[in-house]
Amino acid sequence: MRLPALLLVVVALHQLWLTREAGLNAWSGGGFGMFSTIDGWGARHLHAWTLSQGLQQELALPPELRDARRRVLALPSDARLAEFARALAPHAPRDLEAPESLRIDVFARRYDPETLAPSGALLRSLEVALEP
Amino acid sequence: MELALRLTLLALLLHPIGTGYLRPAILALAAAGLVLPRLLRHPALWLGLTALTVSRVVLDWPLADNHAYLLAYWCLACALAQRSSDPPRALAWNGRALVGLAFGFATLWKLLSPDFLDGRFFRVALIQDPRLAPFARHVGGLTDDELAERRAYLGLHVDGPAYGLPEAPPEPARLRAVAHVATWGTVALEAAAALAFLVPLGRSKWLRDALLLLFCATTYAVAPVVSFGWLLLALGAAQTEPEAKRTRLAYLAVYGLLLLVRQAHGGA
Repeated sequence: MRLPALLLVVVALHQLWLTREAGLNAWSGGGFGMFSTIDGWGARHLHAWTLSQGLQQELALPPELRDARRRVLALPSDARLAEFARALAPHAPRDLEAPESLRIDVFARRYDPETLAPSGALLRSLEVALEP
Repeated sequence: MELALRLTLLALLLHPIGTGYLRPAILALAAAGLVLPRLLRHPALWLGLTALTVSRVVLDWPLADNHAYLLAYWCLACALAQRSSDPPRALAWNGRALVGLAFGFATLWKLLSPDFLDGRFFRVALIQDPRLAPFARHVGGLTDDELAERRAYLGLHVDGPAYGLPEAPPEPARLRAVAHVATWGTVALEAAAALAFLVPLGRSKWLRDALLLLFCATTYAVAPVVSFGWLLLALGAAQTEPEAKRTRLAYLAVYGLLLLVRQAHGGA
């Protein structure tokens, strides 16, 4: 009879752990953190870069990866970032110089406590080597 | 007990959830449960809804909202209650525990978040969340131009420190005061609700209903996530005493109020 309440507690504690260990945003994951912080997944953004010797180029995100992007923003764990990088790899331009690796930077939006001036804090970054 | 079950199913019909095959399947089960009285109290209906609502959370991982989880726990509670020796009592216990725990974790998160405690969350949310715009205008005292100017400033794209940004538009003192009141009012109300639902109250049980009804009537009138409000009201109705007909009427009234609020916000 008490299973639903027990599940709620276990999932909520797991969500708290994921926010500390894997960058899960407080709004997601079943921990009842909605409306408790500005740092929801919608207040995060990411940039993807292809890297080669002496050249760094930003990669436009294809529309078909929109849903995957939202999930990476919500939970930018290393595993999820690597999976996203692998999904992006075929879209890396290879016409000039073949990129050696692909880096994904996830930023969280912050606001100055007094002026509310916005800034972007680098939350997670992962570089994945590309196959030649 | 039946009122709580019916309110749950009605919420699923009024605000269809899930994508793909989940949506028609949930709608069909909810409609069947409302139309067929024997099905309403059949464990199979609630086990089916549990499976579908859990699937929704798993498929959406990690994006599902908090109430998607709460709905799954509640459907499981309804299924287990139908198989217990005293279904109304089992459902009442689960309704009380789930409401108390949900408010308990919501309070914990707010106390753990520095940007909530210093008022930043509401100072930003009142500007950036379009659902809160009417509140920012009418209570916060912002004009449309001020709202648009602040929204543009707060939405500037920044990677790294806030260097070279334009000067921040002035923040009306009234808006800051409203954010301060909303911050501590929310913490106080949610903490009080958590305590009321988790702690034995003896003769003061009425406090649970009063706090939950107050929370739903005020919070969801401003932040129209009414499907969450409907779910909380169903859980609240489940834990009312059998003889408390007026209290259940109050739950019905607030449920209807949220329906009106939803219509006023364009059915969101």
